[in-house]
Amino acid sequence: MQKEPTTLSFDALVIGGGIAGGEAALNLASNGYKVIIIEKRLSLGGKMIMLSKVFPTLDCSACITTPKVSEISRHPNITIFTESDLTSVEKRGEHDFVAKVTRRPRYVVAEDCTACQLCEEACPVIVKDQFQYNLVGRKAAYIPFSIASPKVAAIDIENCTLCGACEKVCPPGCIDFTQEPRDYVITAKTAIVATGFKLYDPSNVPRYNYGEAKNVITSMQMERLLAPTRPFHTILRSSDGKVPDKIAYVLCAGSRDDSLGNPICSQICCMYSIKQAQLLMGALPMADITIYYIDIRAYGKGYEEFYEQAAGMGVRFVKGKIGRISEKENGNLTLRYEDLASGKLKEADHDLVVLSVGVKPNSEPAGLFTTHKLELDSLQFVKQSDPLLSPAKTTIEGVFVAGTATGPKDIPDSILSAGSASTEAICYLNQ
Amino acid sequence: MKKKLGIYICACGGNISDYVDIEKVKDSIKDEDCVILAKTTMFACGDSNQNDMDTDIKENNLSGIVVASCSPKLHLSTFRAVSERAGLNKYNYVHANIREQASWAHSDDKTGATEKAILLVKAAIAKARLAESLEPIVIESKRSVAVIGGGVAGLKAAISLSRMQDEVFLIERDSRVGGKLHELDTISPEQLTGKELLNILEEDIKNEKNITLMTNSEVVGYSGNIGDFKLKVNISGSQGQSQKDINVGSILVATGFNSYTPADGEFGYNQIKNVITLPQFRKLLRNSNEKLIYNDKKIGSIAYIYCVGSRQAKGDNKYCSRYCCTAAVQASLDVKHKYPEIQNYHFTKGVRTYGKQELIYKESNRVGDIYIQFLDKKPPVVTEYDGAISIKAGDLLSEKKEIEAIADLVVLITGMVPDKDTSLGSLFKLPKGRDKFFNEIHMKLRPVETVIDGITIAGTCQGPKNVMESVNSAMSAAAKSHSFVSKGELELEPIIAYVDKSSCNWCNACSEACPFNAVSMIDDGGKSVATINTSTCKGCGMCLPVCPSDSIELISFTNKEMESMIDVLAK
Repeated sequence: MQKEPTTLSFDALVIGGGIAGGEAALNLASNGYKVIIIEKRLSLGGKMIMLSKVFPTLDCSACITTPKVSEISRHPNITIFTESDLTSVEKRGEHDFVAKVTRRPRYVVAEDCTACQLCEEACPVIVKDQFQYNLVGRKAAYIPFSIASPKVAAIDIENCTLCGACEKVCPPGCIDFTQEPRDYVITAKTAIVATGFKLYDPSNVPRYNYGEAKNVITSMQMERLLAPTRPFHTILRSSDGKVPDKIAYVLCAGSRDDSLGNPICSQICCMYSIKQAQLLMGALPMADITIYYIDIRAYGKGYEEFYEQAAGMGVRFVKGKIGRISEKENGNLTLRYEDLASGKLKEADHDLVVLSVGVKPNSEPAGLFTTHKLELDSLQFVKQSDPLLSPAKTTIEGVFVAGTATGPKDIPDSILSAGSASTEAICYLNQ
Repeated sequence: MKKKLGIYICACGGNISDYVDIEKVKDSIKDEDCVILAKTTMFACGDSNQNDMDTDIKENNLSGIVVASCSPKLHLSTFRAVSERAGLNKYNYVHANIREQASWAHSDDKTGATEKAILLVKAAIAKARLAESLEPIVIESKRSVAVIGGGVAGLKAAISLSRMQDEVFLIERDSRVGGKLHELDTISPEQLTGKELLNILEEDIKNEKNITLMTNSEVVGYSGNIGDFKLKVNISGSQGQSQKDINVGSILVATGFNSYTPADGEFGYNQIKNVITLPQFRKLLRNSNEKLIYNDKKIGSIAYIYCVGSRQAKGDNKYCSRYCCTAAVQASLDVKHKYPEIQNYHFTKGVRTYGKQELIYKESNRVGDIYIQFLDKKPPVVTEYDGAISIKAGDLLSEKKEIEAIADLVVLITGMVPDKDTSLGSLFKLPKGRDKFFNEIHMKLRPVETVIDGITIAGTCQGPKNVMESVNSAMSAAAKSHSFVSKGELELEPIIAYVDKSSCNWCNACSEACPFNAVSMIDDGGKSVATINTSTCKGCGMCLPVCPSDSIELISFTNKEMESMIDVLAK
């Protein structure tokens, strides 16, 4: 048992190791500041590392994220705690923050693991793979995903049967079931909240039939189907292996709808759906792709041209809101929708429906700060105390915010807001 | 001593291996001279492969490596860093691009793509055999930044840099700072006016000791390089023109935008009375009191036509101007707050109040504004009608029927266009996109850096943005510019041109070919010869082919190295 928590000191505490937290940390580190990143999950990279390609450049997301993540993880001024919970942050005075952090055990000695995957092969337990958004299974002893950082195995102790098969095959013998959580006290002079967003859960909307109809999937599941490290190495319906040829996109699934508790636009769904449609046309040249939309919000640099390009490639855009999605016996789906161009209610059949799910706030950071109140806005995003002139300032002096913690953002806007947060932090440290 | 080379062939998660048989590539090169190790990998750039390379270099005492993967633009520095970490001089690393140049270029011909990839890797191996260790050129970096443009982005960048303890020269063409803030009324989401924002910023500027504010000033001359730029600034004052030289480590460009000016007759502009642009309308609204009156007419209804100068079906401006939907909805709400009896009609191409801005669009619907979504095939037609104005358009929201609105005032929602003064972009040779705004180095992950080391871009000169987005981009650019100057010294690439004085007979050809003014003439024991300024030379190679006596070599791309590669490729 660990008796006393270990105490560590840094200039900056960055909460969240997604692309915004990573960029903010890099900016600080490259100016000579010592930074610690606390990441809840097993890997850095947040949502971006899971994507297929990015709009409108169609760069492979893994190809541009992995070097960034690698740069972060190797920077001499950056310390990273993955699989760690931040439990509280106290502000004792200006430039004086104290955070309590617990590192959960991986049950693998990270320094010795070579990611050989023999433990994965040996493990008899199969559970749903959350990193592939439940499209396929994984083992209880597993590498989170092929480009995870750190690329180190972990034991999913909830599902592990303690059979010891992994221990027997591990060449460096680095599986250690005796590992326990370790507590740390971390002092820092400033903090950056980069806790990101949550995906809208469409099972809250009965008419979408998500979770019931087998071939209704979310856009994040489609990202995985399209990614270079994709589970099936092709696009298919995971329910029956059929290659889809009539695919529908339902935009604003969980956005711009008061009745679903989310009145705002999620800002990214139009574009990622258009991107997926273009990728699908490349992967399945014979497939028909229809995008049902309210408005197409192709607002950023090069986005409008990208939208026009998709229309030119033959993606069908139908302005209209989706009512009910019902499943037919063969697994195909009937979409009931309002066709705004004709003013009529219509029905259309598709063999795969993708719900373009939106951005939901992650309100967790509000509960972390104990001595001062980190306020949230009316939508439960982190409140910006001066949104126009200091967009990265929060209601606590010395605590700044980056990325989607303040609201929906695409990747460039997340990077810009991370730059903004790091500049604020350096200015504060220079005060 | 014979080189010991390690070769890595990347699958790029299928981007390469779907078209190039990477196992075949490996088998074809593994017995090449000097190659002692050849591997394939799923992602060469991934952390685990980087670890493998590190171990391989150390365990096998490798003296050179080749990675065959994507474009060096993406990963040259990644793998150089791996070499360095493993104790191998990074210039012993050679990159082969088998993605853009093989798998993507020849996705219709897998055999051909594989053959080409093999040749490209063999050529890289040939170069790696001859590669030499090099040391970077270390230069001093001035701890100062020139911020060009004094709008909201420039002001915010200058304040931030000053607070990070950098010396700042804030250069504004106009007689006052503030840029377009002078024209802005309510800015969402804060309900502050541009003037109010400007007052805050001006107060901040006054309190910053590290800022030299230069108004009526224009940059007219530019030389030098990252860490040591020299700018000539023309200052016009009451006593005529003067010139000032400034020396900075980095330049932050924040020159902003112009509002689109409609052509005569475009939706009735300049031809029909009471057709005005959004900036003109804001001015009118700002200066109106109890009644909204224009051209002696009391305004009871207003039609807003969106996407004027943006998203043009016919015309050059294909891009969306991003800020104008929200700006138009906000202006129409301002009208409603001030004059509740006025009816607003919005002729849009689909309203783009993205993100939280959706809330003001909802509010606009709640107060009773009418939205018509016009079709590209039936755009609004504006004509005079009985002392008022008729606007007719095909409406997507009502079975494409023609809808007519009669309004007392038509407001053209004009978008953003790049600053019409293009001299600065030409002076710095800043690349522009199809939309003519300045281009960043990478749209996704490096949105404020440019291809010119040490020059960053902020705000709307990079593309349309609202105030909050401009400020984020300005502070982001400040972070990058600061990192160029904060350490006091910088390392530059040693890949530059080198003159063999013995065979050079100064003829001026290289100097004329050099785009960076890096070549000058010196006297070498009574003979005139060329010499290269090591900190301004970018290693572009333009001087090499024009030299009649073949006296110039490019370090790391020597004749010997290039010929060895060509020999392989031409076999």
